[in-house]
Amino acid sequence: MIGYVLRRVGGAVPLVLGVATIVFFVMNLAPGDPSSLYAGPGVSPQALEEVRQNMGLDAPVHVRYIRWMGAMAQGDFGHSLARGQPVRDVIRDLLPNTLLLSGTALALAFLAGILIGVLQAVRHNTWIDSSLSGASLFFYSIPSFWLALMLILVFSLYARNVWGWPVHFPASGMTSVDHAWMTPWEQVKDRAMHLVLPATSLALVLAGGIARYTRTSMLEVIHQDYIRTARAKGLPEWRVIAGHALRNALIPVVTVFGLYLPLLFSGTVFVETVFAWPGMGKLVVDAIGQRDYPVVMAGALVFAVMVVVGNLIADVLYSVVDPRIRHG
Amino acid sequence: MSNDSRPKTFLIVLIPLLSLIGCGDGGERTFAALPAFCQEVMRDMDRFLGSFEDPADGRYGGTAVVGGIGEIPGGMNSLVSADHGAAQHQIFVNQMTLIRFDEAYDPEPYLARAWDVNEEETEVTFHLRDDVFWHDGHKTTAYDVEFTYRRATDPETGFPNAAFWAHYVPGPDGIEVVDSFTVKLEMRPHAEALDPWRALAIMPRHLLEDVPPGELRQHPFGERCSVGNGPFRFVEHRSDESWAFERNPAFPEELGGPPFLGRYVYRVVPEPSTLLTDLLTESVDLYLQPTADQFPRIEDAEHLRLLTFPFRDYVFAAWNSRRRQLEDPRVRRAIAHGVNRAQIVEAILGGSGSVANTGVPPFHWAYDEEAVDALPYDPERARELLEEAGWVDRDGDGIREDADGVRMELSVRYNTGNQERQEIAEIMQSQLRRVGIEVRPRAMEWATLVSEITDAERRDFDGFILAWVTEFKVDDTDLFHSSNSSAPYGWAGLEDEEVDRLLEQLQVTVDREDALPLWEAYQQRILELQPFTYIYFRERGAGLNERLRDVHMDARGEWVTISQWWIPEEERTGRPLVARSP
Repeated sequence: MIGYVLRRVGGAVPLVLGVATIVFFVMNLAPGDPSSLYAGPGVSPQALEEVRQNMGLDAPVHVRYIRWMGAMAQGDFGHSLARGQPVRDVIRDLLPNTLLLSGTALALAFLAGILIGVLQAVRHNTWIDSSLSGASLFFYSIPSFWLALMLILVFSLYARNVWGWPVHFPASGMTSVDHAWMTPWEQVKDRAMHLVLPATSLALVLAGGIARYTRTSMLEVIHQDYIRTARAKGLPEWRVIAGHALRNALIPVVTVFGLYLPLLFSGTVFVETVFAWPGMGKLVVDAIGQRDYPVVMAGALVFAVMVVVGNLIADVLYSVVDPRIRHG
Repeated sequence: MSNDSRPKTFLIVLIPLLSLIGCGDGGERTFAALPAFCQEVMRDMDRFLGSFEDPADGRYGGTAVVGGIGEIPGGMNSLVSADHGAAQHQIFVNQMTLIRFDEAYDPEPYLARAWDVNEEETEVTFHLRDDVFWHDGHKTTAYDVEFTYRRATDPETGFPNAAFWAHYVPGPDGIEVVDSFTVKLEMRPHAEALDPWRALAIMPRHLLEDVPPGELRQHPFGERCSVGNGPFRFVEHRSDESWAFERNPAFPEELGGPPFLGRYVYRVVPEPSTLLTDLLTESVDLYLQPTADQFPRIEDAEHLRLLTFPFRDYVFAAWNSRRRQLEDPRVRRAIAHGVNRAQIVEAILGGSGSVANTGVPPFHWAYDEEAVDALPYDPERARELLEEAGWVDRDGDGIREDADGVRMELSVRYNTGNQERQEIAEIMQSQLRRVGIEVRPRAMEWATLVSEITDAERRDFDGFILAWVTEFKVDDTDLFHSSNSSAPYGWAGLEDEEVDRLLEQLQVTVDREDALPLWEAYQQRILELQPFTYIYFRERGAGLNERLRDVHMDARGEWVTISQWWIPEEERTGRPLVARSP
């Protein structure tokens, strides 16, 4: 197993480097020069040249590529052109936020998706099945930024200002302004409250798809002979479903886990913007607009690594749900 | 096969999540995550400012939260930042300028308690206050001014507002420290010679002297641990999330003393709808620059008030006069006559703005009232002008051609995602079609647009729609002087002797009385030549929660009165701010 993981990690290195290289050259092909974005009117050509030199933009593209590769090999991502800060610091600030948001969304999505899918399969061809099918198709088809705005409208604005609900959720940010003055328990609660809407809007979209996969796969499994055997043994129904059917039904769903990661990360771009959640998605999109090459490169690397790691986790999960698949 | 492995799988996912939720900040300030430079200066600031008592007046205390859609790029480092919000925080919140403008936009003392200019207008001497401390306890002196000036004029720094120094002698020769609180600068006579000293925040020499100018942009000072001398001290910056400042208890009494607010937080909320919700649900007290379609929502809410004030930015369509279709000024005047700009102000701004005719803003002393009706909406006049210039519809398709059969077809660019400019382009398209000009709106990604229009060798555009912010010192030399027609901002490619002469004269005419006729002549000439179709000066808006008192905004900026903002004790929300141990 450990040998397998190591081999997979080794195989991922050229993949990640390839992604980085493509992103580097595509970025540099796009017209636009950061120095002209950061210099105001009246700047002399000499000063502009100084800015370009300060930013390391005076060298030809291939020289910059080699320099960048060399620096990266030493763990140096350079300085953000737009922010002036080391890229490492910016990512250190923002990556945990994105992991928290997407991790929570992923957990919620799988939890809800699997539960709904199982429920549908068990109550196959009833009104529960068809109404849940309709709901999951609805969430699967709507864009997440629209859903995000609707959640804000209902659960922040109307819940507080119109209906006066006892519970309403903050529309933006990760913490309240007076977070630092809260007790540790209040701080956890404060963070969780801020997490609810963004994580839900990401999770709902994913959960719809997961529910549909689970339902199909469950329906197939439920008619197998070993399920009939389990029932014949006199096992209670919940053990038949949870212990025997679900475990086998989850194998294709685990595949979805790997496939959904890139989808999840592209979803964070919108959701982070709408909920003012300071994270990697918005960072990288802003950086592309600002031609902030070092940030774009580092961001692309981080996302590539996360997708590779996510797929690795999916493969490891295979062997957890299906003992027949063992990686030697 | 046992069932036990499933719960474990979920635990694998949940444990890291819970641990992330749990990592709170604690009540104490810790600087461990900051660079070494910052750890030291943050401790110094806590030590120095912690030694002052808070005043007893009931207005003191409370937190005001301001929400804006953008970060503050460049932060508190006035030597490298080119952003409006950054400059505003530097000059009104965290740092100080030598002079500031009063409500009539006349200079008044600030860090400099007095100044004198010699008779020939070639030397200005600033006498500094001797009671202003940097937030770490060092005194602000003439050496700080000298340091700031040297760095700002050093090309290696890449100071973005190089035009500030057009009338000064750059580098160490241009400035002389007379004594610790007196500094003398050499200059050439100019109408608004002191303007840079209103706009440039002074930086602390004792902290930044050893930083090579080329590395100032990357120094943590501006983003992570600014040490200012203004009414608010820096506390914390979280990337893409917030900036926090607290009252500077050492701010001189004579300048109004420490501000009333205990804490001021700027929050970044990129989506306007979310920010409006935050304002309506009282998560932010002040929403800067709401979109015009949100104005009614703000006005209707009981606890909110909409502030509007004229500002210095205008939206315009620039025309590339190097193009065959646009080389004749009559064509460019026809465009102005053919577009109903008053209607655009109504439709897009809901009336909160005024039609622009030149780049001189309506509140400016040199604003020419007579220019207002110079180019009214008059399609008939537009057609006449086009005809005079030889543009006639020769093939009956409704679009004019010249004698060689070149079609009057203009591609007009704007940056993708800018709804306002897209609508302007579309209105121009439909209205100009009626006078025989075909406009093709074209959206472009921002950086690509900037590079296409500023690259002097290509200038591959007919026209584009953009906004421009002027300083109080209006100077169009970069835009319209013929010597700049191949510099990055010489978009229009204007080459006109009279414009050159007027621009040059305006620069050296100190007396406003003498300058007025020149300004008038200049504005008339620009109306005639129409290098740009000026569209409008927008009024800026802000949504304000009424619990935040004494907020006043004008063309000087949004934060101009932040020292006087206060919140009545009974209307404060959130936890009371207890001083944290350093």
